[in-house]
Amino acid sequence: MTETKKYWKGLEELTAAPQFVEQSQKEFAEHVPVDQFLSDSEATESKTHRRDFLKYLGFSITAASLAACETPVTKAIPYLNKPEEITPGVANFYASTYFDGFDFAGVVVKTREGRPIFIKGNKHSAITGGALNARVNASVLELYDAKRGKAPAKKAAASWQKGLEWSTVDKEITGHLSNVSASGGKIVVLTGTLMSPSSEKAIADLAAKFPGVEHVVYDSISSSGILKANKMMFGKAVIPSYRFDKSKVIVSIGADFLGGWLNSNQYAAQYALSRKPEGEWMSKHFQFETKLSLTGSNADVRATLKPSENGIAAAYLLKAVGGNVTVPAGLTEGAKKKLNKAAAELKAAAGHGLVVSGSNDSNVQLLVNAINKQLGNYGNTVDVESGLHIRKGNDTDFAVLVNQMAAGSVGAILIAGVNPVYSSPAKIGDKGDFKSALAKVKVKIYLGDRLDETGAECDYICPDNHYLESWNDFNPAKGVYNIAQPAINKLFNTRQWQESILAWSGNSTGFGDYVQEHWSSAGLVSGNVAWHEAVQNGVYVGHAAPAIVETTDTKKVEAPKAEAVDMALVAAATVTSTDINFNEVAAKFKASAGWEVELYVKAGMGDGRHALNPWLQELPDPITKVTWDNYATMHPEDVKELFGITGKGYEGHNELYLGEKYPAKVIKIKANGVELEVPVYPLPGQARQTVSVALGYGRSITSGIAREEWQGGLYKEGALIGVNAFPLISKDFLYSNSVEISKTDITYPLATTQTHHTMMGRKIVNETTLDIFKSTKDSKAAGAYNEQEMLTDTYGKKRTPAELDLWEDQGIDLGHRWGMVIDLNTCIGCGACATACQSENNVPVVGKDEVRRSREMHWIRIDRYFSSTLEGEKVRELDQLNSIAEYHEAEVPDGDDELQVVYQPVMCQHCNHAPCETVCPVAATTHSQEGLNQMAYNRCIGTRYCANNCPFKVRRFNWFQYDSLNLTQYPDFNKINPAHDDLGRMVLNPDVVVRSRGVIEKCSMCVQRIQHGKLEAKKAGHAVEDGSIETACAEACPTHAIQFGDLNDVNSYVHKASKDQRSYTMLDEVGVKPNVYYQTKVRNLSKEA
Amino acid sequence: MHHVESQIREPLILGKKTYHEITEDVCRPVEGKANKMWYMMFSLATLLALWGLGCICYTVGVGIGVWGLNKTVDWAWDITNFVWWVGIGHAGTLISAVLLLFRQRWRMAINRSAEAMTIFAVIMAALFPLLHMGRIWLAYWVLPLPNQFGSLWVNFNSPLLWDVFAISTYFSVSLVFWYIGLIPDFATIRDRAVKPLSKKVYSILSFGWSGSAKHWNRFEEVSLVLAGLATPLVFSVHSIVSMDFATSVIPGWHTTIFPPYFVAGAVFSGFAMVCTLMIVMRKVLHLEAYVTIKHIEYMNIIIMLTGSMVGVAYLSELFISWYSGVEYEGYAFMNRATGWYWWSYALMMTCNVVSPQLMWVKKWRRNIVLTFFMSIVVNIGMWFERFVIIVTSIHRDYVPSSWNLFHPTFVDIGLFLGTIGIFFVLFLLYSRVFPVLALNEVKTILRTTGESQLKQLQAGEHIDINGNGSKKGH
Repeated sequence: MTETKKYWKGLEELTAAPQFVEQSQKEFAEHVPVDQFLSDSEATESKTHRRDFLKYLGFSITAASLAACETPVTKAIPYLNKPEEITPGVANFYASTYFDGFDFAGVVVKTREGRPIFIKGNKHSAITGGALNARVNASVLELYDAKRGKAPAKKAAASWQKGLEWSTVDKEITGHLSNVSASGGKIVVLTGTLMSPSSEKAIADLAAKFPGVEHVVYDSISSSGILKANKMMFGKAVIPSYRFDKSKVIVSIGADFLGGWLNSNQYAAQYALSRKPEGEWMSKHFQFETKLSLTGSNADVRATLKPSENGIAAAYLLKAVGGNVTVPAGLTEGAKKKLNKAAAELKAAAGHGLVVSGSNDSNVQLLVNAINKQLGNYGNTVDVESGLHIRKGNDTDFAVLVNQMAAGSVGAILIAGVNPVYSSPAKIGDKGDFKSALAKVKVKIYLGDRLDETGAECDYICPDNHYLESWNDFNPAKGVYNIAQPAINKLFNTRQWQESILAWSGNSTGFGDYVQEHWSSAGLVSGNVAWHEAVQNGVYVGHAAPAIVETTDTKKVEAPKAEAVDMALVAAATVTSTDINFNEVAAKFKASAGWEVELYVKAGMGDGRHALNPWLQELPDPITKVTWDNYATMHPEDVKELFGITGKGYEGHNELYLGEKYPAKVIKIKANGVELEVPVYPLPGQARQTVSVALGYGRSITSGIAREEWQGGLYKEGALIGVNAFPLISKDFLYSNSVEISKTDITYPLATTQTHHTMMGRKIVNETTLDIFKSTKDSKAAGAYNEQEMLTDTYGKKRTPAELDLWEDQGIDLGHRWGMVIDLNTCIGCGACATACQSENNVPVVGKDEVRRSREMHWIRIDRYFSSTLEGEKVRELDQLNSIAEYHEAEVPDGDDELQVVYQPVMCQHCNHAPCETVCPVAATTHSQEGLNQMAYNRCIGTRYCANNCPFKVRRFNWFQYDSLNLTQYPDFNKINPAHDDLGRMVLNPDVVVRSRGVIEKCSMCVQRIQHGKLEAKKAGHAVEDGSIETACAEACPTHAIQFGDLNDVNSYVHKASKDQRSYTMLDEVGVKPNVYYQTKVRNLSKEA
Repeated sequence: MHHVESQIREPLILGKKTYHEITEDVCRPVEGKANKMWYMMFSLATLLALWGLGCICYTVGVGIGVWGLNKTVDWAWDITNFVWWVGIGHAGTLISAVLLLFRQRWRMAINRSAEAMTIFAVIMAALFPLLHMGRIWLAYWVLPLPNQFGSLWVNFNSPLLWDVFAISTYFSVSLVFWYIGLIPDFATIRDRAVKPLSKKVYSILSFGWSGSAKHWNRFEEVSLVLAGLATPLVFSVHSIVSMDFATSVIPGWHTTIFPPYFVAGAVFSGFAMVCTLMIVMRKVLHLEAYVTIKHIEYMNIIIMLTGSMVGVAYLSELFISWYSGVEYEGYAFMNRATGWYWWSYALMMTCNVVSPQLMWVKKWRRNIVLTFFMSIVVNIGMWFERFVIIVTSIHRDYVPSSWNLFHPTFVDIGLFLGTIGIFFVLFLLYSRVFPVLALNEVKTILRTTGESQLKQLQAGEHIDINGNGSKKGH
């Protein structure tokens, strides 16, 4: 049809008129003047062709867009000559030793590309083995403290001349010393306890150069009482070697030997060895103390004492074990009952018991010595012959020195390693404080690490190296030597104080060479090979009797002129009688009726030298879980009485609640002519009518960190972190005072990480007593101490939660399955795992205000629960709570001596059926084939659903950009977070990513270490060996309570332990199947106790 | 002559309205000028909205840390607000779709505004899941999009992902349904428009509607199909939202009763919000003849019914928590009722269960002032219901060491008030430019015979079948 049809537009087309045909050939109906246009000279003038134009256009757009892209500038500076031992990406480990006058530990320093980033224990080290506490572990961060002294400084009028050359100050100081020496003046070298033979020799060299040099040893936390008592009894001023691991009965009268007392690293490791219920025997631990201490919280039997009752309790115990002594009046009936019990147990285990006391009163220590002697413990669990050199400070020497200084008879003083202006009492001897005495000394040289309290009062500051930049040697016990070697070159223009002293005595040798020379000349090691071996091991145990002189006694300060000093103090220093009348000793104690204050040392802060270490500031106190502060602990009933709170039980308990919007009340402590306003922490288990305040806070160097919202009613311009309690120490250095306590109207926010105190009758921490444990065959049977949770199915049959699972397993028995077993019996709650984790995994510090809002980022926390009594029964022994009243009662911890404490380290449980994994909309958290619950930070969009759905609440959210520099919105992070400072960032572990704002993070079971361990095993061509991979927490645990390994490896420790009678998983009935197992805590108590 | 007649129903439209009057009444707000009241309300809403926008910028700029959340309570006001707004967004589609299927013709006077409310409420609701993300700039990762991250896919197990699908589906269907209904009315406005701009705009909006029989036929069919589609969505959305909680392991969240209970609660709060809005609107826009006491009464009956359903759910939860013998479950509910947040539980119970029972009294459920007051009480109660479920469950769950409290910050509060502001800004703008009643549909329920005619008959007047009286036709 179409072929035959024709379509036309008009008649012209149909007729094909010639005009039309012509016109139809044209593109445009009308004439277009193209030639005219092209001939236009202006239009064609340009030499740029169309194609060129496109090229230019393309080029400029590309150039503009390239310029707009900001290329991140990454500077990677290669080694010009690569050091032989450093391979980028591979860590180097160096053995060294930590001793700051307070804590001692053999350490291994992990360095990456030359930067120390992690401190772990040196297992070869004598004395401490591989044990170290949070303070030692966190010390690596202080290396990168930008506030350290960076060069010598000199006081000129009221201001400081900073950044001087060493040669300049050396010349001036040598001049001053020569002048003082030439005019017959006295030059005093004031140090903390030194157990370094070479350092002592350096001081002796100085003394040889300048006649009149004396060396005085001063300890901020003094153990002078023990030294004095041993001097009196045994003629040796020494800290005895204690063997907690050999003690079947341990009785501590106020000694926090797991926390801050003497060599706690060593004692914690020893203690754990004696706490194995599977063994033939398990130690029984009695604690008599004022504040609920870390040690007391681990005790089997505990009773409270007022500080003044320490001596009475010691006398009572001495009498009860058969000593001939008259016991002064005092002590509660409860304490007496428990002392009798302790005495009975001690007598039964005579020779295998141990009694220690934390008192600095030599009279108490004399009584304790008498008890140990009576029981025949000397030579078995206590050894004076091979005593420790960890404390040598003599309070009397120090008091004499202060009197001499006040009298103007000291010409020059060199202060190294101690900070007496901060850490000495408000009244020493009869002459007031150290600060005013120091002002009378003409030449004052500070060899500390920065301009701090003491530095500010001196004329020169010769900044000391950090210990990781220093050489040193130590002689912690007879025949045992430790070496400290630098792990990094000096970051600033500092000089280790021993080198400064050498320089001033005209010796320009470096201290490393000096130590080696001294060791060689003393015949300790001969030749380079032996020396290098000793350096490599960090420890040297002498084979033959060493030629180096034992340094057990402090150098005696010469008795000064009579009018200048308190003669009674001098007399006290020279008591050497071995014939002691214990009746006379005991008669010195009198029970006091009023308020008393006890001063103690916190697990995180020690004596205050770590005040600028944010890891330690943010480490929750083991008992109170408070961070960034010290406070006065007080019995809850005492707080209620003082503040007129009448609520009983639950109501009263709630009125004492501390939380984000519930600040602490503040009390005023008046003692020694000092008034302190301190927030109160109501702590169950505190002795009535006592308050305990931690030392080590209120350092001047913390000024400016705290902000108004951190300080509440106590805020002042330039506020410090916490208050300094050292001035409360009474003049004879005993930590107990008659004090006045009054209430104030102000409040103060305390940042605590745990606001609830009891377990509410749940099987969270499982515990039993030793006799039940011993007599139970099947702990999982119904009614047994570790009863298996059973659920009833539809058919009325009892099934385990695992059997009622709806999930399909992912073949969890194949390959590796990483897991942990945590022994709740040996976990002492110290917190070393928490700092180790923070250090290993770049966990951000968030500061007090954020912790107050419960936003701490720790990947591992240690839960602490107090027990509460319900109608005479322990709550956790009840099957279930039913009524509201019972629940309310269960919330109130026992306040009395029956209080019991449990600890539980909780990190991500790496559930095989993890509830967090199913709820993430973007699959940012998934399960690895090796049983790990893993986080892909990059994929996380931050819905926090996983954190809500975690039954263990271990997931942490980055509420802000905690890691960024120059954060304008939250400038306070700059002050507290090491990752906020170019120098501080050097401590970050390059194997672990730093998380950004808005993502969830949590424990990864140190997956970077697992990968490393697997690669090492692969390279070596064998399977991963049990123990070759350790997580940071397991590595840091001084008691080996945390064990890591492959649960699928039938030969591994964790495999065996997870099948153990004591093992269970937390919240078994939820059915999440954790890969972290806990082992039931066993108290050494009989059922009726 | 005396004659007896049966009791007849109350008319759905009061007054002797003519078709033209209906058109005039509905178009008046669009064509006329706004009154002082409108400007006052609009200014207030704008201020609140700006404050909310400021809080949004602050949150996105600085981090979620500006809220009061903590390691234990990782959701609080954010998800409370989300569920609350989604719940409010339920009434619109229920009124337009479910009641359409059930041939409830009284819905016609309120469906337009109820649907508008739904749309705006869902927008407000959708804000919160976005804002609560730590990294909002990566929010598109919840969509199953092809990507360059390898074969990285979303997690279909996650209830949050189901939320994404449920809410986006609900929102789009509701929007289309609403818009389809608007087309004939836009055409009416277009036809009446005198200003060229508004004529242009309304002619675009009305998609060339000519009012032909064929158009009307398609309109009815599409409405019916969409109603069929939207009806299951009314039930699915809140069921899925409830699964955010029901599928978790947290005592107090892990509850199988949640889906029906959440739907009932949503209808409850949705109708309350419709009451709040309509009572104000009928007064301000003089729509008393269309939104009558009868409407209010019907809505109050639904509120009473759903409120009681919610009450039964609350009591079942309590019973089961005790009957199950699970200590965590038992504690969770005991803690809700007697713990730190007992007051929020008490508020929830009073507002949601006790107060709707007033509606049993006919006089009260026909009382406008009381209804307005009650509608606000109900929405306060429903906000606290979500707060109770979310916060009191997680603030004390399994491990007592992590037990904690939650304290809102000014940003939490600002965001909530801000969304109320934005919602009212949108609603007030809507009331000025959209026909607030389905004017063409309403005409179908105008009674053309009945009492007025009867009266005319009795008066011996000429009966005007068209009901136009003496006025001219429209």
